[in-house]
Amino acid sequence: MNERLEAAAKLYDEAARELDQAARHCEVAATHFRNGEVPRGAAHAWAAVGHMREAEARLDEQAREHSRRSVPEA
Amino acid sequence: MSLGLVPYAEAFALQRSLAGAVSQGAIPETVIFLEHRPVVTVGRRTETDVELHIPENAEVEIAETDRGGKSTFHGPGQLVCYPILDLGNHGKDVKRYVRDLEEALIRTLGAFEIPGERIDGLTGVWLTRPPRKIASIGVHVSRWVTTHGYALNVDLDPAPFTEWITACGLEDAAFTTMARELSRPLTTDEVRPAAIAAVAEVFGLELEGLPADAASGLWPQPIHASLAAR
Repeated sequence: MNERLEAAAKLYDEAARELDQAARHCEVAATHFRNGEVPRGAAHAWAAVGHMREAEARLDEQAREHSRRSVPEA
Repeated sequence: MSLGLVPYAEAFALQRSLAGAVSQGAIPETVIFLEHRPVVTVGRRTETDVELHIPENAEVEIAETDRGGKSTFHGPGQLVCYPILDLGNHGKDVKRYVRDLEEALIRTLGAFEIPGERIDGLTGVWLTRPPRKIASIGVHVSRWVTTHGYALNVDLDPAPFTEWITACGLEDAAFTTMARELSRPLTTDEVRPAAIAAVAEVFGLELEGLPADAASGLWPQPIHASLAAR
């Protein structure tokens, strides 16, 4: 396996894990809001935002790496 | 945030995720107040063979955690506080952080004229003559962001601390509650405002409570600024 591709794959794996966790918190937030449990729903919504940011950070990191290695067309 | 009665596993997952969000700067430092259903939690230093002697018919969950310290018991009638703080804003000193949590507890108890004290070499808050523990502390710090926190015995049967477990690894320790000391029933709702004020004061935080119902309106969040910029 090419090392650079493996490094990119690792970042995408990490992003996927963060997005999975964000999705789980969104589902729990939805349940709590439906039950009228606003602070508990909001807490899970905030947790989801944190995981989204973590995922975004991984995708940004990969984009920066890609940009660094890109060769502009002559 | 006052979250009411929350299962331990949900609160544990929530704390870890909120800690990540605080670490990312996605949300402000956050303090959670809640109660747990009956649960014995074991920390990283718990010797389960020695410390746990839970009767077979006891209706209690056992949960492993990543906090420091030994085993403890949580149940309804105990006010649990989980501050999700960035210690980068509070001195980057874990020992000082634990002392500050003790100070917040002592001030909370002081609001009810209960004289909480520290005992040298032991974590938590105690009443003395004779020594009896009224609040326990267990924390976890990762990337200088805190999870876990304290549990203050407001009004619950303290028997599980001694009959089900050797709480905090302390043989022969006595445990008490605020209600027992005041000789009257007491709810966590009555204690929470003093606890919030004490945490805000000790850590220099401006805490804004999330509204308990949708009709109370909305509240500002850091994400609003980034949405406006898009």
